[in-house]
Amino acid sequence: MDSFISTFHIDWKIIIAQSINFVIVLAVLYFLLVKPLKKLMSERTGTIEGGLNDAKANAELLANTKKEYDQVISNARNEAHNIFQEGKKDAEAKKAEMMEKAKKEVDNMIINGKKVLESEKTKIIDEAKQEIVSLVVLATEKLLETHPDKEFEDKSVNKLKKI
Amino acid sequence: MNTEQATTESTLYAESIGHIGSFTITNALLTSWVVVFIIIIIAIVVKTKLKKIPKGIQNIFEILIEGAEGLCDQVTGNRAITNKAFPIVFAIFVFVLLNNWIGILPIGGFGLIQMSEHGKMFIPLFRSGTADINGTLPLAIMSVIGANVFGIISIGVWKTINKYVNLKALGSIFTKIKKDPGILMTAPIMFAVGILELVGEFAKIASLSFRLFGNVFAGEVLLVSMGAIMAYVLPTPFLLLEVFVGLIQAFIFAILTLVYYTISSMDHEEEHDEKEEHSKGELKEAH
Repeated sequence: MDSFISTFHIDWKIIIAQSINFVIVLAVLYFLLVKPLKKLMSERTGTIEGGLNDAKANAELLANTKKEYDQVISNARNEAHNIFQEGKKDAEAKKAEMMEKAKKEVDNMIINGKKVLESEKTKIIDEAKQEIVSLVVLATEKLLETHPDKEFEDKSVNKLKKI
Repeated sequence: MNTEQATTESTLYAESIGHIGSFTITNALLTSWVVVFIIIIIAIVVKTKLKKIPKGIQNIFEILIEGAEGLCDQVTGNRAITNKAFPIVFAIFVFVLLNNWIGILPIGGFGLIQMSEHGKMFIPLFRSGTADINGTLPLAIMSVIGANVFGIISIGVWKTINKYVNLKALGSIFTKIKKDPGILMTAPIMFAVGILELVGEFAKIASLSFRLFGNVFAGEVLLVSMGAIMAYVLPTPFLLLEVFVGLIQAFIFAILTLVYYTISSMDHEEEHDEKEEHSKGELKEAH
């Protein structure tokens, strides 16, 4: 043992000093490096895991919202289609009704027009007749003035009366 | 005028470079102090620059710690043991590694010239702390004692003591002799195995300390020898080799410590009992 100690110069004081060195290194590394780093890393892992969970929840929420959105859009589309179809039906019925009404109005207008035309025609013919009579009377008067003949006068008067 | 040239000699022990009272300061101890100083500086720098989003040196240490923990998990097979043993194992690794590397730094020109019985001697200022048995022995002692303390914490005082002084085996002679007379043979053997385990603990200290000391000291001697043959050119490849050896030795020391911690945290009695019950069950099933 003595030769071992003298060969390697084993010095208990140096062994204690080296032990203290190691204890210092252990404490420094643990309290200044390993512990804070591990704490920070675990916090970061927690944050990342939380973020991933949030992202997963958000993705699920998004998928559900998309589903709801699709459902709402589909319902709205169906509703719009129904409204459109109903509107179309109503419009067609109204159109038919209006057409019928217009047709009736046109018919009425035609009938009234015809009536007016008839009355105008009769009036014009009467007026023409009156005109012709007055012209004939005038012409006969002129003739009688130029040909004072009783027989001719009677004949002409009779003819005029016939008119 | 004295023109005698100072000679360099590789000694098995660290050379004295000064005294504080009766306390001798060796070049290996000085290197260890430098290592401690460097580690304190690095740790303070990292601590002050810690950010949630890592950058630069923090990144390096995060990768290092994460990788080292993964490696420790492979050895222990249990995250709880890793978490308890990791700070000690990591500290051993860093301390031994820096000691190994600073010892082989090509700054051999810094030193003192002292007079000895062989004339003028050049004493280098830096010698790896692990190239001195006074540096490796305390590490090995702390490693082995720490493993046993860890064992006591993990499995209890009684079971840890029984590993070395197997009183339980001796006691079982009286409790199990009627059921199993063969216990008269096995119990003393178990007790002797316990004593061997105790001797094994001292062997662990010796093997850990001398392996590290031997490898690092041999590396330094090799570098000095190569430098004496052809300075600058010849030592360079060996210097690179020693960098690798330094890393490997630090790794071996740390991993062996972790293995001792893992072994000491296991309850062999429990395992033995489980195996016995299992084999009894198998026998019953066979019948």
